[in-house]
Amino acid sequence: MSALSFVMETDSAAATRRAGAALGAAVHAGDVVILTGDLGAGKTVIAQGVASALGVSGHVTSPTFNILVVHRGSVGLAHFDLYRLERAEQLEDIDFWGVVEGDVVSLIEWGDRFPEALPADVLTLTLEITGDESRRIAVSASGERSGALAGSWRSACAGLDGVAVPGGRAPR
Amino acid sequence: MSRLVLAFDTATDRCALALGRWAVEHVETIATADFDAPRAALGRLLPAVRDLLISEGLAPGDLCEVVVGRGPGSFTGVRIGVATAKGLAHGLGTPLFGAGTLDAIAWACAGRFSGVLGVVGDAMRGEVYPALFELADGTARRLTDDRVAHPADVVAEWSARAAPLLLAGGGLRKHAAAFRALEQAGAQLLPEDLWLPGGAGLLAAYGAARAADHAGDGHPQTLLPIYTRLSDAEENERLRAGGQGEQP
Repeated sequence: MSALSFVMETDSAAATRRAGAALGAAVHAGDVVILTGDLGAGKTVIAQGVASALGVSGHVTSPTFNILVVHRGSVGLAHFDLYRLERAEQLEDIDFWGVVEGDVVSLIEWGDRFPEALPADVLTLTLEITGDESRRIAVSASGERSGALAGSWRSACAGLDGVAVPGGRAPR
Repeated sequence: MSRLVLAFDTATDRCALALGRWAVEHVETIATADFDAPRAALGRLLPAVRDLLISEGLAPGDLCEVVVGRGPGSFTGVRIGVATAKGLAHGLGTPLFGAGTLDAIAWACAGRFSGVLGVVGDAMRGEVYPALFELADGTARRLTDDRVAHPADVVAEWSARAAPLLLAGGGLRKHAAAFRALEQAGAQLLPEDLWLPGGAGLLAAYGAARAADHAGDGHPQTLLPIYTRLSDAEENERLRAGGQGEQP
């Protein structure tokens, strides 16, 4: 399976979190997931779902001020929030590439701020607010590894309550 | 008492750490305490130095020289090593000298192998730090300067060499597929325990660098890291300066 994109819809924050947990059950060390979307779109809810599936204890919030928090789970979870960074070169200051290329799962909020700095093969989730709690999540994989992750995540979401995965239609 | 040397390198996922003592023209290793610490050198290096000194019945004040691996390697790792070494040397009032991280790898390999060695350091972001050394009689002679390059370019360049190479270095792990072409042409992958620097190799590389007057002038203020790839900030500054120069 190679590059792949699809759109899923969730009808509540709980459903978005379930989708995140399904992603957390599908990821492996070395996977990189970019989370983009407006404030309140649910980036952190996805991250919380991923963290719960990885057995991370403790509360997961956006590391807006820390910029990077590494959680211990069944694999390490590196949770970035690049919102406060002004220039791509500041990524060296947080050892961005050392972490992302290490044996952790990377979740990068606001990763779209520095597209040139991202690895070539990433899974990008673009979250959009469609109602009070409902969200549309555009999923796009840019390579073989992220394509395989997208595929297994889509399958895992198929039976989830409140999560609609419309048969893998390609969005434009 | 002979001159005691503390040496460490944090440019890679393995923290190289050793105590040595100057013999006549080289540094003998007294004890090594290398440990794997991916992205954890900052918290673990100084406690490891303390433990090593205690285990040898020594105190920081007994040290006569500090030696640091200057890279190239992880940008953050090199910064941690060089900054820690500068602080230690400054605080202890000792000279500070440097040796190359890839040289430390080559000198360790020279203890067990002979021939031309290609060291492939991991530069991350899809690139490597390649360098060639000639290993003979337990010594390593550097043939090429430190630089950053794409794995495919290194493979093409090294494929053109007449004799098969020995290969080592952390970059071989991420780029195994690219370097397989060299293996098929007869290159020999050295055992993986030689791929990252160790304290004994660092001391050997340092002894040779001092003998060749390549280890720096000993002032903590003047020792520089080897980044090879300019930091993006420096690159931008250079471009900005260049761009301004062209404006009317």
